Amino acid sequence: MTIIWKDFITEIKTRELFSSMFIFALLVVIIFIFSINLSLIQASEVGPGVLWVAFLFAGTIGLNRSFMLEKENGCLQGLLLAPMDRTALYFGKLVSNFVFLLIMEVFTLPLFMVFFNIDLLPHLLPLLYVIFVGTLGFCAVGTLLSSLSANLKTRDIMLPILLYPLIIPIIIGSVKMTGQVLAGEPLSSMMNWVSLTLCFDIIYIAISIMVIDFVLEE
Amino acid sequence: MSDEKQDSSSILTWLTVITFLIAMVAIFVYVPTEQTEGAVQRIMYFHIPAAWLAFFAFFVVFLSSILFLWKKEREWDIYALASAEIGVIFCSLVLITGPIWARPIWGAWWVWDARLTSTLILWLIYVSYLMLRHQTDMGSMRARFAAVLGIVGFLDIPFIHFSVLWWRTFHPPPKMISPEGLGTGMDPSMVSTLLLSLGAFTLLYFVLMGQRIKVEMMRDEVERLKKDHLYSN
Repeated sequence: MTIIWKDFITEIKTRELFSSMFIFALLVVIIFIFSINLSLIQASEVGPGVLWVAFLFAGTIGLNRSFMLEKENGCLQGLLLAPMDRTALYFGKLVSNFVFLLIMEVFTLPLFMVFFNIDLLPHLLPLLYVIFVGTLGFCAVGTLLSSLSANLKTRDIMLPILLYPLIIPIIIGSVKMTGQVLAGEPLSSMMNWVSLTLCFDIIYIAISIMVIDFVLEE
Repeated sequence: MSDEKQDSSSILTWLTVITFLIAMVAIFVYVPTEQTEGAVQRIMYFHIPAAWLAFFAFFVVFLSSILFLWKKEREWDIYALASAEIGVIFCSLVLITGPIWARPIWGAWWVWDARLTSTLILWLIYVSYLMLRHQTDMGSMRARFAAVLGIVGFLDIPFIHFSVLWWRTFHPPPKMISPEGLGTGMDPSMVSTLLLSLGAFTLLYFVLMGQRIKVEMMRDEVERLKKDHLYSN
């Protein structure tokens, strides 16, 4: 709990992570708009993909910072010495990464709606569900790998290299579901994707809890 | 290294060489040419065993990783490393032989079919696994991190499988194990050639595994000797 609060307070005081993540996501969306010809391609066909690429790239920045901040001033050492479970450390980081990313995504959505000229409002609830599940899966794997890559010399490069192949299932699932939701289909018509992404989330949170002790061992 | 171990590994090596020679003869002389696909179909006798071997090797990485985290013995780490390297080599072979076959048959080097995609993702995961090992210094940290990734990566396989399957698929369905029974989709001579080739590749895996483990153990020994004799006085 304290870790979550600490992360939030630091963030509110500096606002550096949120603003950089948000601007970055925005830039990704804009660059995509320049690189695809929207007069030829239906916006609703490429939109979901662009949205998730933006979330993914911006999320990677957040994840990279997450354990690096602790590493910089030797705070991680202190946290590890504290009389508590390592699992709590993972959970704290997972929740704070997850919430930051969600806030960033909620801010990106209206701009996405304007730029791509897609009306999101009628599909808002299922869309939020998809974003919730997809982001959770991304953060579950991402937090584990960021705790690992923070110890490497080349951490900035290694995190995406390790993370992206692993989260391809969740990316495919989220993009497919977002596309179908925007086409007006109910979530019940894509149960296979819903259950796949949910299973992914659960299994990866569970496995992270099991192996985090080995990663944070000093 | 005792003499007995040396003997058994050289027997294994010779057995592999002989099996491979027989498999080569079977592939290029004995087995009939496929009617519709022609001579290029013979590459399947390399493609399928290499694919099987890559999956098997990654499974060994997974098992060794679990055993390493459990028992904390260096040898499990060595097994995982050796198996991951061999797996990546064979996975690369699969990715090379596949397009050679696909070019004349499908008319394209690469299509985003489920199995091609999942093999590519698998290859990426294990390449990143090997990169992680390179980036981390020797010692228990590297072994622990690699083991974590070995477990997490292998557990991803079912998810990758289903997600790309529902995404799209064109790959020829398995002919060997079909609902009508084992090997009914193929000529008996093709089945036996494929099995022979599978056997040869599997033997090759164990030979390579043995060699790689030996090299890694020698490296450990060198490190130890260096520490003892070079830095102590």
